[in-house]
Amino acid sequence: MPDVTLTVNGERERLAVDATETLLDALRARLGLNGTKLGCNQGVCGSCTVLIDGTPGRACLTLAASCGGRDIRTIEGSATGGKPSVVQQAFVETGAVQCGYCTPGMILTAEALLKRQRKPSTDDIRHALSGNLCRCSGYAKIVDAVRLASERMPA
Amino acid sequence: MADVAYHEPETLERALALLGATEGARCIAGGQTLVAMLNARLVEPAALVSLARIPGLGRIAGEADGTLRIGATATHAVVAESAAIARDFPLIAETARLIAHPPIRAFGTIGGAVAHGDPASDYPAALVASDAVIEIASLEGRRNVPAAAFFVDYLTTALDPGEIVSAVIVPHPPAGARGHFLKFSRVDGDYATLSVAAMLAVRNGTCAHIAVALGAAGPVPVRDREAERALIGKPPTREAIAALAEALAAKSDPVDDVRGSSAYRKGLIPGLVARALAAIAN
Repeated sequence: MPDVTLTVNGERERLAVDATETLLDALRARLGLNGTKLGCNQGVCGSCTVLIDGTPGRACLTLAASCGGRDIRTIEGSATGGKPSVVQQAFVETGAVQCGYCTPGMILTAEALLKRQRKPSTDDIRHALSGNLCRCSGYAKIVDAVRLASERMPA
Repeated sequence: MADVAYHEPETLERALALLGATEGARCIAGGQTLVAMLNARLVEPAALVSLARIPGLGRIAGEADGTLRIGATATHAVVAESAAIARDFPLIAETARLIAHPPIRAFGTIGGAVAHGDPASDYPAALVASDAVIEIASLEGRRNVPAAAFFVDYLTTALDPGEIVSAVIVPHPPAGARGHFLKFSRVDGDYATLSVAAMLAVRNGTCAHIAVALGAAGPVPVRDREAERALIGKPPTREAIAALAEALAAKSDPVDDVRGSSAYRKGLIPGLVARALAAIAN
C-alpha cells in the first residue's frame, strides 16, 4: 500500500492508502471528513469538489496516492474558529441551501473563484459553478449567495 | 485490487521501464477519465504508473519552424489559457476551453485524452483537422504518428503495449488559415453530441486551404480529404460546403446513445459544418 503524506485543512496527515483509492474515499473513510460528498463518482456532479493546492478538483477522480505533498482543503476547513467563512455566511443568509448535498462543493468552488477574482460578473460566477450540479435546481439563490459574498469581500 | 502497485517515476525512461515491467500496468496522468473508469470497475490495472511528476513532460513550446509542441501532461486549462496558443492555434485553444468543466480542465491532460481515444472527446477531431502528429515514446525511442492514423477505433489507438504518448505536435496553420471548434451538446460541459473542427483559408474569394473533421460522428474523427480537395481554388459557396458536408455525413457512422440517435447526429452534420465554416469566413 502506498504511503502518502499530505496536508488536509492545515493538518499534516500520513496515510497508507490503496493504489486505486480515491481522495474522496480517503477523506471520508480514513479521516472521517464526511463533508465531502459522494455523488456520481464519475466527475460529473461536483459534489466531491475539494481544493487541491487551491484549485477546485474532483476528489472522486483524484487518487489519494497522487496527493503526496499536496495541500487539500475540504468544507471542514472553511470556517475559522467556529465562524463561517464569508461565502458560508452568504449561503445561509441567501437561503442558497436546499437539501445541502451540493453545498460543500459549491462553497469551495465559490471560495476559490473569489480568491482569484474578487468581483466576478454573474456570468463569471455561473461559469465557475458550471461543474457543480444542484439537483434541487436552486441555482438562482446560489448565484445570489456568491454575489453577496463578493460584495462583502474587501475591494 | 488491494495489492496494485503505484509508481511516481521522475523520468519518462523510468516510466517506460515500469510500464514494461508489469503486464497490465497502466499509465495515469490527470486521472480524469481513468479514475472514473476505475470507480466504475471498467478497468483493473495490475499497476499504475503516474506521469504527473515527470518534470518537463507538460512543457508547451513553439519550435523555430512555427510548430507547436504540447507535452503530454499539459492540462486542458493550461492549453486553454496559453496566450501563444490562442494567438497562433485558435482551433486548439477553443477546443481545450470546451472540454468538460473547469475542475476537470485543471487536471485532465492532452496526452491522456489522446491516449484514451474516445471519439466523443474533443481533442481528436481538432488534432485531425490540424494535421497534428502524436509523438510516442517507448524504450526503443520515439516515433511520430499522424493524428489521422493514430485514432484506430473506439478507445483504440496506434499505441502498442509499453508505449506512452509523450507529446502532441501541431504544425503552424497554413498561411491565412483560421480555425474554429464548434461543439454541439445539450448540456454545458457534457461530451459532444456532435463536434466540428474546421480550418479554412480564403484567398481572393476562393478556398486556399480547408480541413473539416467531425467528432462523435463515428469510431474515429471523420474527415474527407478528397471532398476537401474539390473545394480548393473554388469559392466556399453554400452549395460547395453542402457537398463537403454531404460527403462527411456519408462517411460518418455515429452511435445511438443518450446524447442522440445516430440519425439525429447525422442530421446535425450539414448545419454544423456550414456554421463552423461561416464562423471562420466572417
